[in-house]
Amino acid sequence: MTALDTVTAPAVTRHTSPSRGLVLAMLRLHRTALLFWLGLVVVAAGALLWAMGPGADAAWAEYTDLGCDQAAPNLGCDSPGPANSRYQTAVTVAIGLVRLLPLLTGAWAGGALIGRELENGTAQLAWTQSVGPARWLAAKLAVPALLLVTGTLTLTLLHRMLWSADRGAAINVMGWRAWHDTGVFEVNGTIAAAEALAALALGVLAGMLLRRTLPALGVAVLTVMSLVYVLDALRPYLWPVKTVVTSLDDGTPGIDSMIVETGAMTASGARVPIPSCSGEPGCDARTGITHYYADYHPASHFWPLQLMETGLLLAVAALAAATAFVLLRRRTGAAV
Amino acid sequence: MTDTAIEAAGLGRRFGRRRAPALDGCTFRLPAGRVCALTGPNGAGKSTLLALAAGLLRPTEGGITVLGTTPAAARERLAYVAQHKPLHPQLTIAGTLRLGRDLNPRRWDARVAERIVAEGGLDPDTKIRALSGGQRTRVALALALGKRPELLLLDEPMADLDPLARHQLTATLMADAADHGTTVVMSSHVVAELEGSCDHLLLLGSGRVRLAGPLDDLLAAHTLVTGRAGKALDPHTVVESRATGRQLTALVRPAGPLGDGFQSDRPSLEEVVLAHLRSPDAPPLLLDRRGAAV
Repeated sequence: MTALDTVTAPAVTRHTSPSRGLVLAMLRLHRTALLFWLGLVVVAAGALLWAMGPGADAAWAEYTDLGCDQAAPNLGCDSPGPANSRYQTAVTVAIGLVRLLPLLTGAWAGGALIGRELENGTAQLAWTQSVGPARWLAAKLAVPALLLVTGTLTLTLLHRMLWSADRGAAINVMGWRAWHDTGVFEVNGTIAAAEALAALALGVLAGMLLRRTLPALGVAVLTVMSLVYVLDALRPYLWPVKTVVTSLDDGTPGIDSMIVETGAMTASGARVPIPSCSGEPGCDARTGITHYYADYHPASHFWPLQLMETGLLLAVAALAAATAFVLLRRRTGAAV
Repeated sequence: MTDTAIEAAGLGRRFGRRRAPALDGCTFRLPAGRVCALTGPNGAGKSTLLALAAGLLRPTEGGITVLGTTPAAARERLAYVAQHKPLHPQLTIAGTLRLGRDLNPRRWDARVAERIVAEGGLDPDTKIRALSGGQRTRVALALALGKRPELLLLDEPMADLDPLARHQLTATLMADAADHGTTVVMSSHVVAELEGSCDHLLLLGSGRVRLAGPLDDLLAAHTLVTGRAGKALDPHTVVESRATGRQLTALVRPAGPLGDGFQSDRPSLEEVVLAHLRSPDAPPLLLDRRGAAV
């Protein structure tokens, strides 16, 4: 085998880690997706940076010109001017792109990343090079995960800066955006990044299970949509609520809370729906209600709610990734 | 370094419980350095066997040893070209070879791979999706040989090549294999395609090994006899016999000297293979064991 050794000698000196080669190969294979992701991050980040700088300046100037920052705002403050509209559009575009991300990630992971490779046999081509199936799958998960988390967290940081700026807060109130709004809530914390990771893992699992591009793409999109929908519905119940009880004259609490449930209470403390005759004379006495109540999350519940949901998403991601590895192992019998 | 390239013991693979096994109780041994023809009718289990040897599938029964170890552990030392030559359509030829370099950093020989591509007159900047079937095969073989494998597994490698390209690529392949002592396993259901380039035969039928051993030994073990119908062929093993009128033609494995009244001929590879395919009940003949024949 000396002839063979001399032939391969130059190759040995270059780089000897198949893992490094695998990462390089992956980046080259999925160059289009990589460029698309970079483009998406640049557009969303650009929109946020613009909104934070010139966008906010113009909107704020318009706001103060109308006298809306004064103690007694006039009616014109209710309908935003053109500068404010442009600001709102930029922020909406950035949030929209982040909200779209789990779907795009799931579709890509199920279809292009795994399903297509198993359907046309290029996965088997990779597995018969010097890297085994398990390492191949690990790279398929790790490289996109790293890029997704880096990009998404960048957007989250930018949005938090925009959100916490004083002027931004005032303009956001004008845009009727609250901290607990779907879209705002995810992008302001760790949920956006965790959603992308869960979508990646679910897409990979769909690809491993179905082994064909289009079915995997479809199933991945449906699964990710269901997950996002379910978590959205589950969100208020991930942390104990606070309850406020108000007299019949005060009404229900203010808008800066995530309201979970409102209703009326009788003298015995039983919770009943707000009667349809509410507000009419004699209604309260007739129905026997004495107070209104509201279960809600104050703004201080932001991080507990964020971390609970992030934890759930990461658990889903870990479970899906582990299942994908088990499937691969059962099929190929290969450990590494 | 082991002298056995592939050894299978009771190897079986089932796809789904209700379907008949693709491979069933295959036991054979392929010595290193051979060029082995793997043949059999469609659906005989050729592709399954190659995928098992390449470590792409897990056997459901028995075991397979490749280059003295498990297929997974031998991954770096074997190359496999699947039947439909999967390659990434979005890469160029040069990009495909770079993939081979990146994924086989300890073994890659760019000169070998580039030479095979250049011999086909292919421009390295062409995208894979623009190649014809035969050109794809050439790139797939370049990728496989660039890895400098000790064992080369080829599933229907020449199926979509024109006769000239087939001749050229076979010559390239055989020269390379001879230079480096590579063991080659090549599947095909066209027997004529394999004769001349192979020195070992593995014939599968319905997932079982029908014939296994050095080509010359297998041919020498069979005799084509013609004689008068009704004459007994005992004690020889009859693979296939056909009577046309009073004339009897049979392929037998002689157990001793043939009796008088029989004319005997050396059969061709195609005749031996076809006779076995037409007679699924003929006993298998395995001449690949160390030393003894069965």
